[in-house]
Amino acid sequence: MKPVRRTIRQRLQLAATMLAIAVSILGVIVTPAAAQEPKPDPAGIATGDRTSAVDGGGNAFVVTEPTDKTSPTYAQGKKDADEFKTQADKEPLAVKLADSVGHIRLATNFAWTLNTGYLVLFMQAGFALLTCGLVRKKNAAHLMMLNFAAYVFAFIAYYAVGYAFQFGAVAVNAAPTNLGGTPTLNHFLLGNGLWGFLGGKGFFMAGPGYDAGSNVLALFEVVFMETAGYIIVGSICERITFWSFILCELFVGAILYPVFGCWVWGGGWLSQLGNTMNMGHGYVDFAGSTVVHAVGGFCAMALSIVLGPRLGKYGSDGKPRAFPAHNIVYVVTGTFILLFGWMGFNPGSTLGATDLRIGVVAINTNLSAISGSATAMLFWYWKFGKPDITMACNGMLAGLVAITAPCAFVGPTSAFIIGILAGLVVCLGVLFNDNVTKIDDPCGAISVHGFCGILGGICLGIFADGTYGAGWNGVGAASYLGKAGQGVTGLLYGDTSQFLVQIMGAAICAVWAFGATFIAFKVVNGVKSMRVSKEVEQEGLDVPEFGLLGYPEDALHATEA
Amino acid sequence: MKKIEAIIQPFKLDEVKDALIGTGVEGITVSEVRGHGRQKGHTEVYRGAEYKVDLLPKVKLEMVVSDGRAAQIVEVLTAAARSGKIGDGKIFVTSVEEAIRIRNGDRGENAL
Repeated sequence: MKPVRRTIRQRLQLAATMLAIAVSILGVIVTPAAAQEPKPDPAGIATGDRTSAVDGGGNAFVVTEPTDKTSPTYAQGKKDADEFKTQADKEPLAVKLADSVGHIRLATNFAWTLNTGYLVLFMQAGFALLTCGLVRKKNAAHLMMLNFAAYVFAFIAYYAVGYAFQFGAVAVNAAPTNLGGTPTLNHFLLGNGLWGFLGGKGFFMAGPGYDAGSNVLALFEVVFMETAGYIIVGSICERITFWSFILCELFVGAILYPVFGCWVWGGGWLSQLGNTMNMGHGYVDFAGSTVVHAVGGFCAMALSIVLGPRLGKYGSDGKPRAFPAHNIVYVVTGTFILLFGWMGFNPGSTLGATDLRIGVVAINTNLSAISGSATAMLFWYWKFGKPDITMACNGMLAGLVAITAPCAFVGPTSAFIIGILAGLVVCLGVLFNDNVTKIDDPCGAISVHGFCGILGGICLGIFADGTYGAGWNGVGAASYLGKAGQGVTGLLYGDTSQFLVQIMGAAICAVWAFGATFIAFKVVNGVKSMRVSKEVEQEGLDVPEFGLLGYPEDALHATEA
Repeated sequence: MKKIEAIIQPFKLDEVKDALIGTGVEGITVSEVRGHGRQKGHTEVYRGAEYKVDLLPKVKLEMVVSDGRAAQIVEVLTAAARSGKIGDGKIFVTSVEEAIRIRNGDRGENAL
């Protein structure tokens, strides 16, 4: 045992050192030398002034002169700007007041974004309970440790490079104006303009990343990344070694999640397809059906294939065998915690309480959750004679995952229908993986997060009703489909191009998450098996991997089940 | 002396225990056990995969009584443990050679 342990430790140290060196080199390369750079505002006293003051429709208090003198609306714009100037000169106190209003607006949004971020953070407790409850008792400590370590290691990776890769260029095309616009995050490491592939500012959340607005964004986004990091636990548990799990989490936090996240949320190329290729509003994913959940789900699928099924999951006849959940109380409690956390996940993704669409988002999220769960319960009732409690929980999560992308763009009826579709997809997905693909997925993570994530991305392209998102991704700010104020619109409401770009984006998400993970960890697994030995798997991973049982009072009993 | 071993439904434990104490049994040992009889359990479905629940939870009672009282106690026990359904359990009676009270060394029926 001893020499093996030492090599693992050495390898981990080597990997960590190399990562640190690579990151420092990158940091030096991308450090800007230009003098005109916007300054970060760590104290938060310069963030939010009269320019942040807007009305309910997003119209700015300060009217500035249009820059394009050839524009047909230039004359009107110039007139409005002159009138504003006249009035501002007449009432300087009103302008001073607007500085306060703008500051308070951002303060409201900071508070909202941080608090919804804390809710999302609490989802990690839900994931831990859910996945621990779903596995066998002999692996309870293993599951809790994976969930715990995922938060720690993925966070380190995201802190070091992930955040910069994802949001290092967000101000270029997708400035979060609700949080003050984070003007310091303005450089693509790969690509530029409307074709950005990787952000390049804010490494270690230092320098340009040491800014009050940027740090609010970082807190909110890191817990989203963690969600993707937790999803994989549900598929790879009960057989993965701890050292390879750490590698998986570093990979998700540093590369897998931030890259696709940059393409969609960091102002990257997928989000700009509306501007570059005339495809709807570009690829849209409001809170992460694909960016978070499908990335996690397809990463989980690749890892599960690399690892292979758990011992005894398939009999000699090839039929799947059941390993019943050891604690249904954890499973249901965990699911409810996740539902609660999702009230931060989706409504929080406005990044601001001053965006009053949050009410619609919150109710849509719940509607899809309950219709997804009801569908899964009734489906199982009909097919197997009894509703399966774990599938009822998976159904609720499926509904939540599927509504996460479209939640802001659809109405309540559509949200309810999306939940039903997700409930069906998750039931069929679990049966499909068990019986056809034979990919062993102990907690159903691939079906819940992978399949339903893709469903969510596509549903946005079908059900978006155009009532919200005017000017999204810089498309159609003045008017869209010939109507002023028309927002993101799906197939049913007349925008086929949005439907097509959603299918394309979702497919790219699945290919990226699955492909990159599969290649990377096929190599790792080739160098050294990522799986525990047969004896360890039979005994349960708790003691061999961590030196204690999840339930130590069981020590005298047999380790079976 | 006779040893009476009864394997019964867990939910019958309180009723059986009260009946036995009522008839004057001094000591009982109870353990939670698992097993199957002729039915060999039943199958359930978990997330679409079938599994057998073939070792069902039961409660085992053990008591040692004097020869003269065994028949009556078995009768009381049987009546109290019976629900009339499959799975009610079984009773086994065996002879016991010796009994010793550890505290003071009493032997035979005095030790019961």
